[in-house]
Amino acid sequence: MKRRPFVTALGGGLTAGLAGCLTRDDTDEENGGETTDPEPDDPDLEGTLEVVTYESMLDGETPAGPWLKDEFESTYPDAELEWTLLPDQGINHYISRASRGGTIDPDVYLGLNVDDLVTVDDNLDDGGLFRELNLDRIERSDRIRDGLDMGDPHGRVLAYDTGYISLVYDETAVDEPETFEDLLDPAYEDALIAQNAQTSDPGQAFLLWTIDAFGEDGYLEYWADLADNGVRVLDDWTESYYGAYMNEERPMIVSYSTDQVFASAEGNDLSRHQTAFLNDQGYANPEGMAIFEGADEVDLAYEFVDFALSNAAQAEIAERNVQFPAVADEHVDLDDEFDQYAHEPPEAVTIGYEDLRGNLDGWVDDWARDFASQ
Amino acid sequence: MVCVGFRELLDRSSRESVNSAESAESAAVVESADSASSADRSTDEHPATKGPPDSASPLSSRVRTWLERHALALTALCTAAVLVVMLYVPTGIVFVNAVLENGRPTLAHIAGVLTDPFYVGVLADVFADPLAIGAHLRSLTGWVSAISVSLTVAFSVPIPAVDVTVPIPWFALSVPPVRQGLFGFTAVQAALSTVASVAIGLPAAYILANYEFYGRRTLRSLTILPFVLPGIMVAVGFYAMFGRTGTLNSVLGAAGIGPFAFIETSPLAVVILAHAFYNAPLVARVTVAAWESVDVRAVETARSLGASKRRAFRDIVVPQLAPAVLTGALLTFIFTFMTFPIVLALGGLQLATVEVWIYDRIQNLDYADAATLAVLETLLSLGLTYAYLRYESARSGLSQAASAPPTEPLFPDLRTALSPRRLAIAGYGLLALVLFVGPIASLVVGSVTDGGGFTLRNYAFLLERQLAGEQYQALPWPAIRNSILFGLATLAIAVPMGVVISVLTVRAGRSGTLVDTLAMLPLAVSGVVFGIGLLQGLVFGLPLPGGWRLQVTGPIAIIVAHAVAAYPFVTRNVSPLLVNLNSAMVESARALGASRFRALLDIELPLVASGIVAGAAFAFAISIGEFSSTVILASGNGSYTMPVAVERYLGRRSGPAIAMGTLLLAVTAASFVVIDRVGGRYEL
Repeated sequence: MKRRPFVTALGGGLTAGLAGCLTRDDTDEENGGETTDPEPDDPDLEGTLEVVTYESMLDGETPAGPWLKDEFESTYPDAELEWTLLPDQGINHYISRASRGGTIDPDVYLGLNVDDLVTVDDNLDDGGLFRELNLDRIERSDRIRDGLDMGDPHGRVLAYDTGYISLVYDETAVDEPETFEDLLDPAYEDALIAQNAQTSDPGQAFLLWTIDAFGEDGYLEYWADLADNGVRVLDDWTESYYGAYMNEERPMIVSYSTDQVFASAEGNDLSRHQTAFLNDQGYANPEGMAIFEGADEVDLAYEFVDFALSNAAQAEIAERNVQFPAVADEHVDLDDEFDQYAHEPPEAVTIGYEDLRGNLDGWVDDWARDFASQ
Repeated sequence: MVCVGFRELLDRSSRESVNSAESAESAAVVESADSASSADRSTDEHPATKGPPDSASPLSSRVRTWLERHALALTALCTAAVLVVMLYVPTGIVFVNAVLENGRPTLAHIAGVLTDPFYVGVLADVFADPLAIGAHLRSLTGWVSAISVSLTVAFSVPIPAVDVTVPIPWFALSVPPVRQGLFGFTAVQAALSTVASVAIGLPAAYILANYEFYGRRTLRSLTILPFVLPGIMVAVGFYAMFGRTGTLNSVLGAAGIGPFAFIETSPLAVVILAHAFYNAPLVARVTVAAWESVDVRAVETARSLGASKRRAFRDIVVPQLAPAVLTGALLTFIFTFMTFPIVLALGGLQLATVEVWIYDRIQNLDYADAATLAVLETLLSLGLTYAYLRYESARSGLSQAASAPPTEPLFPDLRTALSPRRLAIAGYGLLALVLFVGPIASLVVGSVTDGGGFTLRNYAFLLERQLAGEQYQALPWPAIRNSILFGLATLAIAVPMGVVISVLTVRAGRSGTLVDTLAMLPLAVSGVVFGIGLLQGLVFGLPLPGGWRLQVTGPIAIIVAHAVAAYPFVTRNVSPLLVNLNSAMVESARALGASRFRALLDIELPLVASGIVAGAAFAFAISIGEFSSTVILASGNGSYTMPVAVERYLGRRSGPAIAMGTLLLAVTAASFVVIDRVGGRYEL
């Protein structure tokens, strides 16, 4: 990568603020088309690995990012891990960049969802943006639990943790709902808060969960019934949870099954933080990692992916990020407190890549139009 | 490699002006009498600042004279250049998606939106077949004849102590259902929000401009504080205040009433109140500025000629305030028309607006639909702006001095304090306390409490992050420092930009109105679209011939983007005051040999200083509150501001973010007071 040091030098040449710039497009094309990365005889474990990830991995209260950086750098003394904050547009930022033939600086993307991959493939060439991973180079990849296979036909992504969407309810106000049909009962009239599937991850997960339960022909009807029973669809998880739910506007909300971890840390009464798994299910939202097609530090990137699946890293990611590990139980040791408050559903459901592909936008749009024009 | 910094650009323009000044030397002979007289005058007026004798440096004096003569034109040129690069190009490259399909012009997208009942409601039929006038008229008359007006009791207050229910009439219209569509609903809620904001903002302006009380100046400085609050903070603050277990219900509960489900009962009413929370202060601030520059000597004249107090107010003061009030209403309508996170956060998806759909389409990389919706939104906003500006520019003022009405003490003694007018003011004060102070205070309380009661852990988090944070994390102090620096720099750029546009357009007839309308584009463009335009245009780079690319990022780009968003507030605060001025004063000064710039500096600006100070405060506020252009243009990790830090601390626990938000409020409040005090020195 010749561009980065050049831009830095240019930036340093200007005084305090780099304002306007004319740069020349890179002319040397990276050969990003190869299918697998063969195991090198002499891997290059020296250099700076640039990893892009979302805010709470770096800036949250107990972020996993700093631990991962320190531990990775002490495992690979010649390597440096450089964090990059995911731009505001998320994956769309890199899709736009790639479709304009611009260069992409980071080597690894940490925090990729299945629907991100669908968006990539809907807008770029099939299987684009990230490398197809050679799993022989990632020894720990077979530790990943069944059901967290993210279903990418191009094998670009591996899960490193997962969350489950469930309902959180106030047991002093309502009984535990057991099925989706229960939510239509008069006992739950004006009781549920959900989030907008257009803008919010839990909101979209809950919508997909209802599609899994009622099929793409039945979910709109179910939602019409939910609307009749007074469901309120707010914007983001934060406002709906810390605004509406915590000020007791309503006794039930679509949220995460790790809710009690935070509630107990806040010193809240847990009676308002009960977890309900409808149909004994939770909707799994696995988070994955992938290596960019044009990565400079391919060898280090492979090492990082394997490192993130190690016993210690899995425990730290899970507890700091308050998500569940991606590896099977025998490969990770979690604190008892985490086990006590983080609840796993008896059955995890998720709609995989194949079904989302070409459908996701339409499903969400049909639902939102129905809802907004009521 | 060429790299053109903004600073260099400025350098070059001033260099060029020097060159032209030299080439203009021969022409200067003709004007020598003129320039000598203007030099004399400046000597008269500023004896203390008089430099070395003119004969010692004739060139620099000529340069100064030339600069003075062309200062307005130069500022206007710079303004135009900034607008082209930072506004028209980024907006344009997104907007073209509305009328292009694979590089070919098309109207299919616009036709698609205009004939979709989801977007435009019943008007879809009209757009689909505009010539079937008869059919449209028939359905219209059918609808009108079905209207019946009735007042319904939709909301009742149970008072448990005495066990009665007091019915309260609620504004519920009973007209036959009309499919409003997304645009229709967006316009309706914007209109209601505008009415509410004006109704709540005007009494505040009246009190602040006419009464003297302890802390009046500070209160005036703080009026626009709500303006800088990130949407998430307002949403959480409103729930914390008006929620079922919120502050208001706790207070009422202590008095034995309630609890009430304010938000659940009428989400629309709460959304409108939240819009008033943002915009009533805007109406108030713009109106106060106008009120303080009213020429009350005319009132005295009218009174001496026998007009009653009421009559003098109606005929003299109201016409001088009207442009400001209408400006406030116009801005409120445009803002609430493009409202985004707050409607969904408080009202839910049923109250979705056009902007929600633009955001959604952008997320899905469907630029054609997003651009089409945004273009329609902008056309509507600009149309309204043009209509208002036609009205504003058609006015001619007679004001010759800013002699604000004398203020009287608010509560001089008990007897006055119990008069109906004072009681009404006290009642309004209570309302303002609930609506404006309530949500903010509830936020602050929320930042120091958790399930176990009082806690300082959120502030401990900020301190720890400051002391031990990593370079790739957001730290509180750099966020505060960047916010203040960007804010001040924005103010320094936006005030001249805004003033120059005011001056050039206020009395320039129809063409002036047109320029002024186009200059209001930053307010009329969807924030989501502007952000994506900055990203695709300036961050990814604009392709130029020869494989070159123009990229504009970094702190200076952020400041200029903030200034572009902010200068319309300066213009809209200054223009209503400028039109009130008697144009004969400027003409006399020009006839006596003053350059246009000199007349502006010495005559007009001092008379509209209160508008400039208000505009400057708005410019600062816009910069502090701006989120999306800041994160998009920041290159690397160095340029984050306070609202960005709030967003970055927002994890599954909201405490740290709310503590940072409280810090944002405190810093901004202090800055406003300082700006108003410093600016106040220049007010008459």
